[in-house]
Amino acid sequence: MGIVIAVISGKGGVGKTTATANLGLGVALNDKKCVVVDFDIGQRNLDMILGLENRVVYDIVQVMEGDASVKQALIKSKVNENLFFLAASQSKDKTVLESDKVQKLVTELKEDFDFVILDAPAGIESGYEHTIEFADAAIIVVNPEVSSIRDADRAIGILDSKSYKVKNGEEVAKYLIINRIDADMVQKGEMLKSEDILEILSVKLLGKVPEDKGVIDASNQGKPVILDKKSLAGQAYLRIASRLCGKKVDMKDIEVANSGFFSKLSGMFK
Amino acid sequence: MFGFFKRKKSASVAKDRLTIAIMSDRDRTNAYPFMDEMKAEIIEVVKKYIGVKGVEIKKEVDGDLEALSIDVELDSDTVVKKI
Repeated sequence: MGIVIAVISGKGGVGKTTATANLGLGVALNDKKCVVVDFDIGQRNLDMILGLENRVVYDIVQVMEGDASVKQALIKSKVNENLFFLAASQSKDKTVLESDKVQKLVTELKEDFDFVILDAPAGIESGYEHTIEFADAAIIVVNPEVSSIRDADRAIGILDSKSYKVKNGEEVAKYLIINRIDADMVQKGEMLKSEDILEILSVKLLGKVPEDKGVIDASNQGKPVILDKKSLAGQAYLRIASRLCGKKVDMKDIEVANSGFFSKLSGMFK
Repeated sequence: MFGFFKRKKSASVAKDRLTIAIMSDRDRTNAYPFMDEMKAEIIEVVKKYIGVKGVEIKKEVDGDLEALSIDVELDSDTVVKKI
């Protein structure tokens, strides 16, 4: 029996889909069987990030409506045999999601996979509530920026009130990924520090991901950045994925700029 | 020159603003844990007399004064039931 993890955010555009793709591939690289599911109905982005857009035949709505089986709709990754993908539908809107159908789908996926990772719509959109309802854990993705953090807090609030686990007196685990950190800006006091963000949101830190141009380059090619050994963001996702698989990986302080003497010097005077 | 050194860093401004904004957000959205239940009951009561589409309850704070504002959206398709 696997674990269901919803990857959530308050507002859109913080790197949620990129995180989902990379964590999915990351746990697959750790020899865990994983399925990533695009719950962002009507938007369909995860297929592009994974480079699987040409293989989509059936989507999640067709599975939930009973028009296709899970087996028919699952798409195997080109780069790792442990990773599978279930596409969002493009035509229908998010209101098609219904609790009992979502529950049936995730329960079925849980039987076959160690990790079921759901790419949720942004927290302010409809469809979000259904994505998080049956999740065992949530990974919140934020940028070190005020609107992203404020909206994340609202998304966490909805998670705490609508989660099936919470309603049944259990706890839904919550972890934070801080994405697109610019070390120089943090050092100059122009970007919020991780510890401040954690204090404001009061959730546990899963990992920090630096700003990295390689992320766009990777998505251009449909190859998640985690495959790029030289990429700092890719390395960060590799560490996060290992943590998800229960390995103890020390938190790397990417907020201390590693480039050059002067940035190190300015770090001493913070 | 001195103004430059005294200027508060924008990250700490962000922290202060966020802390306050989030505190008031939480106050508004999670005002009471029984909100959903109360909504359902209000709908039941009003429904006896007239069609209801939904109920919105907001907690409003103005200085020391706290108030619940309850908006009942009526279903325009239904006619008022005769009592």
